[in-house]
Amino acid sequence: MKLTFHLNGRMIELEAGPTAFLVDVLRSTGLTGTKEGCGMGVCGACTVLVDDRPVSSCLYLAPCVDGADVWTVEGLAERFPQVVDAFVAEEGMQCGICTPGQVAAVCALTLEKPAAAEPEIREYLNGNLCRCTGYQTIVAAAKAALDA
Amino acid sequence: MTDPEFVAPTMLHHVLDVVGVDDAIIVSGGTSLAVMLKQRLIEPEKLVWLGRVAELKGIRQAADGSWRVGACTTLAEVAASPELWRDAPMVAQAASVVANPRIRNVATVGGALVHADPRQDLPPALLAAGAIVGIRGPGGERLVPLRNGFFRGLMETAVEHGEVVTHVCVPPRRDAVEAYRRFTPQSVDDYPTVSVAARLERKDSGRAGQLNLALGGVAPTPVLVQTDVANAAAAARAAASPTSDERGSAEYKTAMAEVWTQRVLAELLEGET
Repeated sequence: MKLTFHLNGRMIELEAGPTAFLVDVLRSTGLTGTKEGCGMGVCGACTVLVDDRPVSSCLYLAPCVDGADVWTVEGLAERFPQVVDAFVAEEGMQCGICTPGQVAAVCALTLEKPAAAEPEIREYLNGNLCRCTGYQTIVAAAKAALDA
Repeated sequence: MTDPEFVAPTMLHHVLDVVGVDDAIIVSGGTSLAVMLKQRLIEPEKLVWLGRVAELKGIRQAADGSWRVGACTTLAEVAASPELWRDAPMVAQAASVVANPRIRNVATVGGALVHADPRQDLPPALLAAGAIVGIRGPGGERLVPLRNGFFRGLMETAVEHGEVVTHVCVPPRRDAVEAYRRFTPQSVDDYPTVSVAARLERKDSGRAGQLNLALGGVAPTPVLVQTDVANAAAAARAAASPTSDERGSAEYKTAMAEVWTQRVLAELLEGET
């Protein structure tokens, strides 16, 4: 199927199978920042924004983004530089596999709940798993991003 | 597997034209369907996506005061509805705790009903609230109360091939108090081991003390128990027929159905005084 949608602010046209998942289609364009972790919507590594809402791209059928506005970590890093700066400043990462998803989720948080306090931040990020940091630095990065 | 055809009608009558033919499967949010596709549990010939059908979205009040929630309304939209938090708070509560924000942004009310996985959060809340499902098919519309035959068995419902769930009507609680609580011993974004939704009529109403209790996770379908406060815990235990799995043994789930029923009632009764 031919799909036309906005990807990181630019119109893109590409071919995808009817049961292709968004994560694979995005990575096939060379945007390999988005990672597939669990493949079942639990871990959050594949988080991207569709129409400015975070979704699991591993469960999102690619044909459903036809006409939509999709942002991956590559575009989000330019659109929300304060989020990236906050992750760097607070060292909100260790191995890095979950980081694109964490960054995408925090970008969505700044849009959806710009005044979120810590309990809300933790609630919002509870589906973005990190097996390294223990979350303290990720939450600190989210707080710093919201304060920026 | 050959690739299925993917169609995205924009009008409900176009949906009805295509869902009855071939081995068509309806896609709403697709979050559960995606997993089933990946596991090769389903190999549809046709996928009919409802995401472009505007008339299936949104929450509005019907003439009788009940809230008509479109089948393609997302769980996030339900959880963000001030009207539902006021008139059916256990429904909004249940929608607000499903999985994580990414799933809630995509998964829909109609999908939750039709998927009919007994571990889901929303169905028990809708069941206890007395919700009625609107189903459209070639023969027109029919209304099926969740309490009366909608859930047929594990992942089986009254919705026939060729039919589409269009909406669910949620009666307001009026004087009743209600709550939804879930027991997730492993992690908060997991399916509940046991969940309890309860709508309790208040002392000052004509139906004082009537309790509609719905349990999730303890039987092949959500289970409704109509009882009163004094008999609720024993009735919950009696209604539970769970199977043992990674979320607990059958015996443990049965005990937890009783315990969480008591906890929900204690919370509701505390709010009364």
